[in-house]
Amino acid sequence: MNEFVVTINGKKKNVKILKEDKVILGDKIFNVEYSKVNDFLYLVKVENRVYEITTNKLNDLKYRFGLDGYYTEVEVRTTLQEMVNDYLINKSKNIRNDSINAPMPGLILKLCKKEGEVVKKGESLLILEAMKMENEIRSTVDGIIKEVFKKEGSSVEKGEIILTIE
Amino acid sequence: MLNSKTNLILCSKKILIVNRGEIAVRIIKACRELKIISAVLYTDADKNSLHVRAADQAYYIGKSPANESYLNISKIIETAKIINADAIHPGYGFLSENSKFIKEVESAGITFIGPSSKSVEMMGEKTSARRLMKENNVPIVPGTTNPIDTPEEALIIAEEIGYPIMIKASAGGGGKGMRKVYNKSELVSSFERAKNEALKSFGNFDVYIEKLIENPKHIEVQILGDKFGNYVHLFERECSVQRRHQKIIEEAPSSFVDEYTREKITNAAINAAKACNYYNAGTIEFLMDKNKNFYFLEMNTRLQVEHPVTEMITGIDLVKEQIRIAAGNKISISQDEIVIKGHAIECRIYAEDTINNFAPSTGIIKHHRLPSGPGIRVDRGIDLKSEVTVYYDPLLSKVISFGNNRNESIERMLRALGEYQIVGVVTNIELCRWILQRESFTSGNFDINFIENELFPLLPESWKSDVSENYENVISILAAILKSKEIELAPRKNCGSQSNKWSELQYE
Repeated sequence: MNEFVVTINGKKKNVKILKEDKVILGDKIFNVEYSKVNDFLYLVKVENRVYEITTNKLNDLKYRFGLDGYYTEVEVRTTLQEMVNDYLINKSKNIRNDSINAPMPGLILKLCKKEGEVVKKGESLLILEAMKMENEIRSTVDGIIKEVFKKEGSSVEKGEIILTIE
Repeated sequence: MLNSKTNLILCSKKILIVNRGEIAVRIIKACRELKIISAVLYTDADKNSLHVRAADQAYYIGKSPANESYLNISKIIETAKIINADAIHPGYGFLSENSKFIKEVESAGITFIGPSSKSVEMMGEKTSARRLMKENNVPIVPGTTNPIDTPEEALIIAEEIGYPIMIKASAGGGGKGMRKVYNKSELVSSFERAKNEALKSFGNFDVYIEKLIENPKHIEVQILGDKFGNYVHLFERECSVQRRHQKIIEEAPSSFVDEYTREKITNAAINAAKACNYYNAGTIEFLMDKNKNFYFLEMNTRLQVEHPVTEMITGIDLVKEQIRIAAGNKISISQDEIVIKGHAIECRIYAEDTINNFAPSTGIIKHHRLPSGPGIRVDRGIDLKSEVTVYYDPLLSKVISFGNNRNESIERMLRALGEYQIVGVVTNIELCRWILQRESFTSGNFDINFIENELFPLLPESWKSDVSENYENVISILAAILKSKEIELAPRKNCGSQSNKWSELQYE
């Protein structure tokens, strides 16, 4: 993996690492030397200047960098991850998807609707057996059943997605 | 008993510092220079704090909450006795202005490094303090000098003074327990609420009314008094850069105060100190309107956070003076010997997330590199591995810059804030830089509403200056390099999570 998309201050930068010391950012080639001082401080030499950058990894995607008194949170993804991310963002933007999640762990006794069926607000979607009781789960919206992820007779965990309505 | 090492007539041998963070470290430094043994207290959260490592002796005082530790009077007095402390330095905040504590220290035969409990009481109750000031030629903000009991009384007084007015808690201070009222229709409800809040916050529902001085500057004067009745002032400081009455940037001297006003205000401050028979270090706070009229606000009967700027322009070590005075020595310099040289600015570095409504940031300091060079001083309470928790206030350190003039001290501060590196918590370093570059600040035309007027409309993020494209590029390059290194080291994990996403998509 050597192609990345860095999201910094609302902008996206494409960075391709060619070799140990050559990087393409946008359409420009940079000669880069870098070294680690400690887990939280790196030296990066670009075009005759050595930058001291403090680094803190916040999670899988996010870093917090500090340089010359500026602090900025940055997301890094491989180009592949970025494509997937864009796709998922677009999906959720264009289509209003309501997901029905299991309110508690249990067993799906009966599925009342199939994919493609029309459903009205208040209609019964499924029966979930949990805590020795049968719970009827009703739709909170009007729509069409988009996708059903679970089969009758299968068990679900709390929060697990059962179906989506469009 | 002349101490040949320090040339003092009288001297404490061991001081117990009843505080934490940067001020405890500050006091330790003075003790070290005076060859006095420094003893400190610490809690679970403060195990790895700098003050614990810097002191000669460190005693575990209890669990982290302040009530069980730094505010626990009986535990503290007991510890002081057991370790044979000659004196106690309270720092600022915590018990420093608690007259009950001071009395108990005095009764235990231990020297309190500060004023008498009587002085603290006289200035602690705000309405009697105002009366005292009025009687002693210290201008006060027009208003009542007695607590107000009924809303009817409040209405009459407010009419007399003229709106807008401020309703304040008599037992309050430090910006707490105050309400602004702009017109008659709001008065009664504000009055009731103010009384309730005062009772809840300070255990006392007494309130008084003052004229609201609009857009004032906050100007305060540092004084020293000794136990022989001598007084000196060390000029003024300006502390108008505040957010909700919490100071962010302070400086000495004030760019707004001219020689004539300086003469008047420092005289007033000395009068205030004399009026309550004060000794040791203290600060008299004033509000100054645009015509340079000043009005007594309150007296802080302790050392203040921003004392370093005064030390920089006068060359006098205030903490050492405090220790000497408490031991029975006279003030070591005369008023003639105290002159202003240059200009100093202090930025308080807080563990706060400006973008997130100034939410306190907590964590462990993982990396720390201080600024240095000409005219830079850093007073701090943290170091590597120190924990920043919700138990205590979020002040991490203070960066102080000194220059031959105000511009130079601003330039040095900007340089220093770029050099300062902290990893582990979010800080207000960037915010301080923003403030220092605002025209209002550099021109000196700012008042206590500066932050509210200029910063708040730009929150949460529009105030941030654009990072240069160059910096953004370099950071992006590093980000990509780090990510690629990560992937190199853990190829399987990554492939796994990616393929899940793809298989989901295949069902579309």
